[in-house]
This record gives sequence, structure tokens and C-alpha cells, in this order.
Amino acid sequence: MQSGKEDRGAREEILGRVRAAVRAPAPRQQSGSVGPIFATVTDPLERFQSECAANHTDVVLAANGDETVTALHRLLASLPPGEIFVQDTPELRRLTLGLDARQSILWSSGGPPPESSQVAISHCEALVGQTGSVLVSSHGCGGRGASIVAPCHVIVASADQIVPDLEAALARARQIAFGNSFVGLITGCSRTSDIEKRLIIGAHGPRRVVVIVRLSSGPSVPEIT
Amino acid sequence: MTLPRITLFIPCFVDQVTPQVAVDMVTVLRRIGCELDYPEEQTCCGQPAYNAGFWKEAASVAEHFVRVFAKSDMVVCPSGSCTAMVRCFYPELLASSPYCEEALALGKRIFEFSEFLVDVAGITDVGATFPYKVTYHDSCHLLRELHVQRQPRELLRQVKEIDFVELGYSEECCGFGGVFSVKFPEISGPMGEVKATNIEATGASFVTACDPSCLMHLDGILRRMRTKAKAIYLASILAAQETAAVPSNGSADVVEP
Amino acid sequence: MNRIAQEFHQKAREKASDQAHRQTIRRAIDTYETAVTKGRARFADYEAARERCAEIKWEAVNHLDRYLDQFETNVVQRGGHVFWASDSEHACRYVLELALRHRVKTIVKSKSMVTEEIQLNADLERNGLRVMETDLGEYIVQLRQEPPYHIVTPAMHLSREQIAELFREKIPGDVTGETHEELVGAARRSLRRDFFSAEMGITGANFLVADTGMIAITSNEGNARLCTSRPRIHVAIAGIEKVIPRLQDLAVLWPTLATAGTGQSITAYSTLIGGPRMAGENDGPEEFHVILLDNGRSRLLADPEQRDLLQCIRCGACLNACPVYRNVGGHAYATVYQGPIGSALTPPMRGLAEFQHLSYASSLCGNCTSVCPVKIDLAHHLVQNRRNVVAIGERPWPERTSMRLWAWCMLSAERFKLASRLGRTMLRVLNAMGLAAPILKSWTEHRQLPPVPKSTFRQMWRNNAER
Repeated sequence: MQSGKEDRGAREEILGRVRAAVRAPAPRQQSGSVGPIFATVTDPLERFQSECAANHTDVVLAANGDETVTALHRLLASLPPGEIFVQDTPELRRLTLGLDARQSILWSSGGPPPESSQVAISHCEALVGQTGSVLVSSHGCGGRGASIVAPCHVIVASADQIVPDLEAALARARQIAFGNSFVGLITGCSRTSDIEKRLIIGAHGPRRVVVIVRLSSGPSVPEIT
Repeated sequence: MTLPRITLFIPCFVDQVTPQVAVDMVTVLRRIGCELDYPEEQTCCGQPAYNAGFWKEAASVAEHFVRVFAKSDMVVCPSGSCTAMVRCFYPELLASSPYCEEALALGKRIFEFSEFLVDVAGITDVGATFPYKVTYHDSCHLLRELHVQRQPRELLRQVKEIDFVELGYSEECCGFGGVFSVKFPEISGPMGEVKATNIEATGASFVTACDPSCLMHLDGILRRMRTKAKAIYLASILAAQETAAVPSNGSADVVEP
Repeated sequence: MNRIAQEFHQKAREKASDQAHRQTIRRAIDTYETAVTKGRARFADYEAARERCAEIKWEAVNHLDRYLDQFETNVVQRGGHVFWASDSEHACRYVLELALRHRVKTIVKSKSMVTEEIQLNADLERNGLRVMETDLGEYIVQLRQEPPYHIVTPAMHLSREQIAELFREKIPGDVTGETHEELVGAARRSLRRDFFSAEMGITGANFLVADTGMIAITSNEGNARLCTSRPRIHVAIAGIEKVIPRLQDLAVLWPTLATAGTGQSITAYSTLIGGPRMAGENDGPEEFHVILLDNGRSRLLADPEQRDLLQCIRCGACLNACPVYRNVGGHAYATVYQGPIGSALTPPMRGLAEFQHLSYASSLCGNCTSVCPVKIDLAHHLVQNRRNVVAIGERPWPERTSMRLWAWCMLSAERFKLASRLGRTMLRVLNAMGLAAPILKSWTEHRQLPPVPKSTFRQMWRNNAER
């Protein structure tokens, strides 16, 4: 939006100064520390679980599609009644069939999650073993608000979405970068230590993050009969 | 092992204000069989001018230094910061000086005292006895420029009857910093007081270090605060033996070697 | 000594002897140190991480033209706007015009040192806009109408009781209690209303990713996420030096920044924004603007010796490591950037003569250099700044003269001995007259003077050698 003539001038001036500046080479001091930065993650699922335990992410393992449904329903029943914002996908529509009538569902296809939503349910792009993180995206996971507005965020994932480390997670992010206006790595719940350096869970974002991990491959949910 | 002839580099303020530091270092070096010489044309390594930003002046003093020690086989110095000046900062300071090459070569054969004993002479037991509780302050240039940390501790642990205790926050700066101590006394003083409080908390009777400049500052603070602990240079502990009188600190009673 | 320097001395004096302040800061830093030690242990080789981060930033800064160009192309391709701002005024004007054009009333802001630098809030507020800081620490100091104390933990200097009292006064309707949890809850309630009604969100950016045209923002609270999902317009402001070549570089930059900054393995919300909402997305801003700020950075860039200062990723580790910072606190600096990076950057960027005292207010302990995750030799920059101040003749003439005299004396052992004998004699005389303490006040204010020895080492050596 560099519309004004003055503004266009600023771009040329600044870039011009930068170009001229970097012509003079600067020294580069190397110390020789070039070993592997992180140890290889040998068991990503196990590592994912232990990291999540440390960063306050709840992980629920479900053996198959049936157990995924059970786990999700049980979780939602344990939360106070309220609006549930759900990413609009066939899988999540099937998973949330038959929920208690008290809980009203708002689909992501209808817009952003309202301020009052209590729970948000979405997919993820990947789960990261190294840090116990969840990779989400705007297009792929129900929008930007899905993972930040509601005080509880539930991610329905499968074990084959687990990647070992940040290198792999960012490679995935690179693949989807131009197809999404937002890609985010979420590690644990919202938190702050701004008051006396005391860690408090639940600042502006969710105070609870739950990842339901379906272990089996194959169709995620049994066919509707 | 046969040790090379050691040329003594005695920092300007040690020579003038705290000579006991050098005397005790000489005692220990002689005890382990070193032959010593002391070029009297030496004055200063130039660090005060360098730190103050007066690099032209510092360089001229540094060139004099390089000339004085040109013929030495090996130089030993009772100060981490002065040794660091020569080894770590002369290369940049004298980059465009005709003495640049010599300075780089000198940097390879100059050692701080504890570094010399342990790494060069391979000695950790110098036959010392010091029946007191002692703690150790990691002075900044020694720690971060020369990477000397293990050596003083190895030497102290070999001292008979010593009760060595680690200092809390031992790596935190004591607040001397050369001219900083008088340009910003309102910061330097409190930094020293924090260090003094940590020293008191160990219950030690002595705090030692490899930098007499830090010790001079700490000594001033400890005496002002009237603490139990006294500051003493490392070699003064290592020089102490069963029969010798206990030196109080590096500067007050000047004992002939 | 100029006024700024005088004020620094005064504030330093007040804070350095303030025991309560010292305790608070010590506790905060101890907590930080414990966390960082744990954090570093998560790396197989933390030094290799530092080396790699330094390498990435070196590459970025030394090819800044290429990566800025690539970044801009990608942002524009994705529907975003890029504005190049030469200085503070230029950047503020752009934001203001944008806000006025879109009839913005409320702005929510996530923490950004650059917006402090250009004093954006003051400018917007002067023009009738309501700007809410949403990072809890920034929110607190905003309510107190004071500048942030520390670039990562802005309210480090305040106790829970002080914050409770502040909230009771400013947001009484949201306060339910005084525990840490309840105070955080009060801020959440109050700011949530602003998140959901603000028309514009302003953020900084930790990194500008050239190969994908995305900005990277990290936060733990989630406030930056809310600032970039609800409001219609998102403006991101960043210094030109924030550019990095590739998205993949974040695999090491993100965990190292988190470790150095807070001891975490990675910040809770590590976010990438690549433009306004795309077709088919159900939320997100309609407009996305990135302001690339120069404001003196290209000048630093042009000096090969100082260029690596632009590698800084604003982690705050050097502040926490600095014994001077621990004693005088963040406000004493009276500059946007404090601690070692502030003392290194501010003189060349804002005035070598005017801000020289910052480079002298250091014992050169080097702790900052040893902790910097991008391996900037900060302590050395301070000495180089001092050299530069001397080179432009901005040290007082008595100091210049005595340095020349000192050097002249040091070039000959005879002169050295004479000068020292004079000095020692003078000291003895002053001592005898009881005048040493008052005249040498800079030393004696806090310390006893060392006693003057009977003989110098060289005298003793001479005597011994002749014996």
C-alpha cells in the first residue's frame, strides 16, 4: 500500500541504504560447535505424552473409532453446559452425533466462535513429539479462533499425525503455508508469569487443552447405521 | 618435569599497592623449582586505557609491554584480568601495529598463575597448610575470557587443613570493573556489598580469588562492613605453611620473601 | 555530564541501595535462572543451538536486502500490504491514517518493543483512539502509566499486593480477589471485552519469514492470537532486522528464543500469520499490514563492526544476566531498550555523546556475552562504544589529559616509578591529614582504602637480588 509518492520514496531509500550497507562484509566468528542440536526423538508418541504431561495438555488415547466417540462424549459431558464450537468436517459431524441436547453446537462454517463458547473442537495438522505441541491452521482446523477463544480446546487427532520434532513440524507448516493465512504451534495452555514470576495457567487463551489420539488407522469413525 | 624459565609480569597496581600478592606468588613458584626473572622495564599492560576507550594510548603502552617481554620463554602473572588483556585483547588493539605478530605470539606463552601451576606445571599440591574456612570468587575475565575455573579449586582442595566452601553466586561480578569502580561508585559499591553478603553467608574466614584488583575492592568493602571474612590472594594461601605466620590480607603487612 | 547521564546516576543510586527492590529482582532472576538451566538441558548441545542461531541471523542481516525483498513480494502476493517507514513519525502516521480511515475506536495491542520505540500508543491516544495493551505485564504498567521495566517481564518490579491495589482502583468491577489466579482472571475479564470489540489489532513480530511471507509472533498468554483473530484490521510493526530466510529456521530459533527468554522449551503460542483471511476461511482480519521500520537500523547495518547488534532477537537474557541491571533496574536507563543490548545499541543509534554513560556503566564482566543466544559480544560492543566516544573527542579534557600523561608515564619504568612514588607519598600525606577519604570519595564512599605498603615489589626484588 505504498501509494503516496513519498512513501514509495521511503521504500527505495531504505532498501537502497540496506543494499549499500551490506556490500561491506562483516566478520563471521565461528566457534566450531556443530553437533546435533537436539537428541533424536526415538518414540514420538511416548515423548508426546510425557511433554504434554509437563505442559498441562491432557492426552486421551483411544484404540479405535468407537473409543474416540466415547472419549469425546465423556469429556464433553464432564464440562459445564454451554456452546460448543466445532470445526465443520464430516468426521467431526459424525463424532458429535448424539450429543446431549443441552449442549448447542455451532459449526465453523457459520462463522467465528462466539465469545461465550465454552468448548471448541477441531482437527490438527500434526502433533509434535519433541515439545508436546499441536500444529493447527486456519483453513485446516476451523479458523483462527477455534484454538484460542473457548476456555477448553479439544483436538481430535490420530497417531499417524505425530511427527518427531520441530524440524518435521515446520516442514509440514511449509507445505501448508501458502494455503492458510494462519498456522500456529500450540504448546500447552495459555499461561503467564507476569505477576511475581508465578506461573498461572489460563490467561487469555484456553486453560484446558485436550488431545484425543486415535491409535488405529483406517476409517476414523464407524459407518453410520 | 623441567620448567622453562619464568618471567614475572607483576601488574602495576600489585607492584605499587598490593606487593604481597607478588611476593607470595614468587614464594610458591620458587618452592616448585622455577627459575625466575623480572624485567624491571615493565610498567603496565594498558588495560585501564583500553577499558576507558583510549585505544591509542593503550596501544602505545601495549607495544612497550610486548617489547619488554619479547625475550621471555614463558610469562606468569598473578592477575586474570591482566593476563586476559594480553591474550584476548591485544590482537584487536594491536591489529595495525608493527608489534601485532609478536603480541599474538606473546599471548600464547603468557599464563595466569593458577592456570600455569595446574595446566603447565601439572602441579596441584604446592605443600601449603591453611587451617581456615575459605571460599572462592570467580573473577570475570579469568572465568569468561581465560576459561579458568577448575584450576584454582584444584589447588585449594590440596591445601592441608583447609575447609573449602563454594560461594553462592560465585560467578557474579564483584563490581570492581576498573574505572567503573570510581566512575559509578553508586553501582560498584552495592554490587560489592551483595558479594560481601554472599561471602558472609558461607561463614568463611577468607575469600580468595585470582585477581588482586577484585580482592582490593572486596577487601575495602569487607572492612567497611566489618565482616568476619577477609580477602586474600590465592598465592598467599598457597604460600602459607605450618610454621609461617598467617597473612591478614594482601596489602597490609609486607613480608619479605 | 549531560542531564540524561546525571539522571541515570541519580536513579542508579536510588535503586542500587533499595534493599526491597534488590530482593524482588533477585527472586525473579533466581526463578529465571533455575528455569533456564532446565531449559538448556533439553538440548543435546545448547552451544550448537547458539552457534546455529547466530549463523541464521548473520546470514539474514548480511543479506538483508535480498530477504526483505523476498519477504515483501510474498506478503503482497498473499494479499497483505507492506509499508516501509523511515522513522518513528513515518510509521505512526501510517497507523493513524489507517485507523482514522477505517473509523477505528479501540485498538488491542500485543507486546512490541518497536511500538515503544516509536511511541505509537501516545500518538494514537492523542488522536482520540483507545489503545489497550493486552500482554498482562504491559497492561499493568499501562494502567500505572509507567514504562515497562524489562523487555520480557514488564511488571517484574511490582508485587502482587501492588498489582491488586492497582486493579481495585482501575478495574474494580472485574476483581474477585487478590490471589495471583484471581488477578489474572480480572485482567482476562476486562481485556476480553476489548478483544471482542476492537476494530484493529496491532502486534510486533519476532521474525519476518522471507520464504513464505509470514510473520512469526510468540506469546504465552494467547493475547497476540486474539489480537490477530477478532479485529478487522491487523497491523504488524517490526524492525527491518527481524527478517529470517526460511520457515525451517524457526526449528532452532523458536526453542532457543524460548529457552533464553524464559527457560521454556517453546512458547505456548508460536504463531505464523501470512496475510488477511483467505477465501474459505471462517474468521480472521480483512486487512493485513506489515510496517517495516528503519529508524536508524540501516545506519548500524552500514558499520560492519556494529552490524551484529542487529542479530538481537530481543530475548531479554542479557538483562537477566547483567549485575548492573539487577542493581539499578530497568527504569534507570530511561531508554526503550535496557540492559546490555540497550547500552550497546542506544549510543550508536541515538547519540554517541548523549548516551555514552550507558556504555561506561558496566564492569565489563561479560556475562551478557556468554548468555546471548545469537552470540553477540555485547561486552565488547561497550568497550568499542567507549573507543568511539573518545575518537570523536567527547570525553572531558581532564580525562583526556590525564590519560595522555598516564600513557607517557607508562612508557618508561623510570617515569612509572617516579609517578608512583609521588602518588604513594601524596596518599600517605592525605591519610595523615585525614583528607584521603573525602578527596577520594568515589572510592571511600563504599570502601576502605587499601593501606599504602612500605616497599613496592620492584624495590623488594632489587633488594633481594642484590642480597
